[in-house]
Amino acid sequence: MVSDSIKVSIPSAPKDFGKKKRANRSAKLKQCKLDVRREQWLSQVKNKGSKEKPNGLGVSPCENERKNDMENLETRRIGRGNEEEKENGSIYHEFDSDSPSHSPTGSSVLSCTDVGTNFTGSSSSSSSSSGGCCSGSITEEEEEADDDCLDDWEAIADALAANDDSKEGSQNNNSCPVSESSPKFEPSVRSDSISPELEPSVRSDSISNNLDSSLEDLKQECPKTAPPRVAHGNSRAWRPDDAFRPQSLPNLSKQRSFPNTQRHYGQGGLPWHCSNPVNVPSCCPICCEELDVTDSSFLPCTCGFRLCLFCYNRILHVEDGRCPGCRKNYEGNAEEAELSVSGGSLTFRLSRSYSMIARGYDFYG
Amino acid sequence: MQASRARLFKEYKEVQREKAVDPDIQLVCDDSNIFKWTALIKGPTETPYEGGVFQLAFSVPEQYPLQPPQVRFLTKIFHPNVHFKTGEICLDILKNAWSPAWTLQSVCRAIIALMAHPEPDSPLNCDSGNLLRSGDIRGFQSMARMYTRLAASPKKG
Repeated sequence: MVSDSIKVSIPSAPKDFGKKKRANRSAKLKQCKLDVRREQWLSQVKNKGSKEKPNGLGVSPCENERKNDMENLETRRIGRGNEEEKENGSIYHEFDSDSPSHSPTGSSVLSCTDVGTNFTGSSSSSSSSSGGCCSGSITEEEEEADDDCLDDWEAIADALAANDDSKEGSQNNNSCPVSESSPKFEPSVRSDSISPELEPSVRSDSISNNLDSSLEDLKQECPKTAPPRVAHGNSRAWRPDDAFRPQSLPNLSKQRSFPNTQRHYGQGGLPWHCSNPVNVPSCCPICCEELDVTDSSFLPCTCGFRLCLFCYNRILHVEDGRCPGCRKNYEGNAEEAELSVSGGSLTFRLSRSYSMIARGYDFYG
Repeated sequence: MQASRARLFKEYKEVQREKAVDPDIQLVCDDSNIFKWTALIKGPTETPYEGGVFQLAFSVPEQYPLQPPQVRFLTKIFHPNVHFKTGEICLDILKNAWSPAWTLQSVCRAIIALMAHPEPDSPLNCDSGNLLRSGDIRGFQSMARMYTRLAASPKKG
């Protein structure tokens, strides 16, 4: 069973991977978290199982899709997970902290560009999560898919909404629009027809087994990522014509566009977004090279002046070793940063940047 | 060094884009050499330099922006911190207080600020510094205004 669906999922993943180099790994990581979320929902649905089952055919294709996604995820993780985490350790952590604001935008952008449909973004967290899945690896199926699954989708959405009522009251408002405006979510619904060859009878057994096992795996791999975040009601994607849509969204492949979206979400009044007051510039103010992810998360001085590691190293060893922003010595600032880790509101950023400093010494010293 | 070139090119674009923002400063790059710049700055109001337009010459080192640009007045100016003959400027941000975060534009602003607030205790123009230090504000202003008219004002007629 597992091998079957792996065969199903493999052709899509490498193709995607080759086709869009710029469809960054972050999207995959986000998708992984979204999938975890979906599995949790699904498990709730299954707990209510007997109630939901009467929908029969209506529910099962979606479950298939979920299972496929889940196994896509697994295979991908098996295939690339390790090296990804090695290479982009910092990225991964970055998204751990930032993903709630990124994930909806990421999914909407990807599905817009890759699929080419007029996917107008989603207005609820549940739909945005499925948008992420469809953009990740199921592009080819979408083209040949039909739109008949709308009713099924609504059924699922209702079921999810019912679960959300009990679990997260804050999501209640978001879940309702799904059923009303579901035609907008066609791209995500289309992916329901991924695995027509799977028998319904086989499904019902294997799904639960696979679900439970993989859910545990996923939970282990992505501990406590998704749930607290989705609890924020603001996690919706941008419509293409949305006036508030950040200009930098099309550049999603460049990591530097993330701070902008983050800043935008900060206006929504989510306190933990505002906890990052320092705006990350897109390029090093000294050498004008683009800041990569490592550079962007590198905060060498308490004054908040950012620069690339190359310039930092040069200032530290060739020049006078003072921060360009405040002219204080970098060495002293590093200690200050460490001190403020214990008590400041910038705790997270500073502690990370301090570790970056240490790493910088390793690299260049 | 490519870094300095890239940085200067970015500053060039910045200058083109923000021409209207700071009308007191005209920063122009040499046609053939991006390491040579000239600037025209207007004398700040309510100073003896008001009404004058002063030309600055920038010579940017290869290590820029880690090293400061060399700036001097091409226009004669009577100012305690500007050498009367060579136009050399005594300004800390052009020496040890330089920061790579500064730009040529911000250097121009700093020079305008220096014109408005001379520092007679570290004079390059001793005559000017002595006038200020002895409290002869009027004498200093008369001299400075005269040289502004002579050297920095557009010729009339």
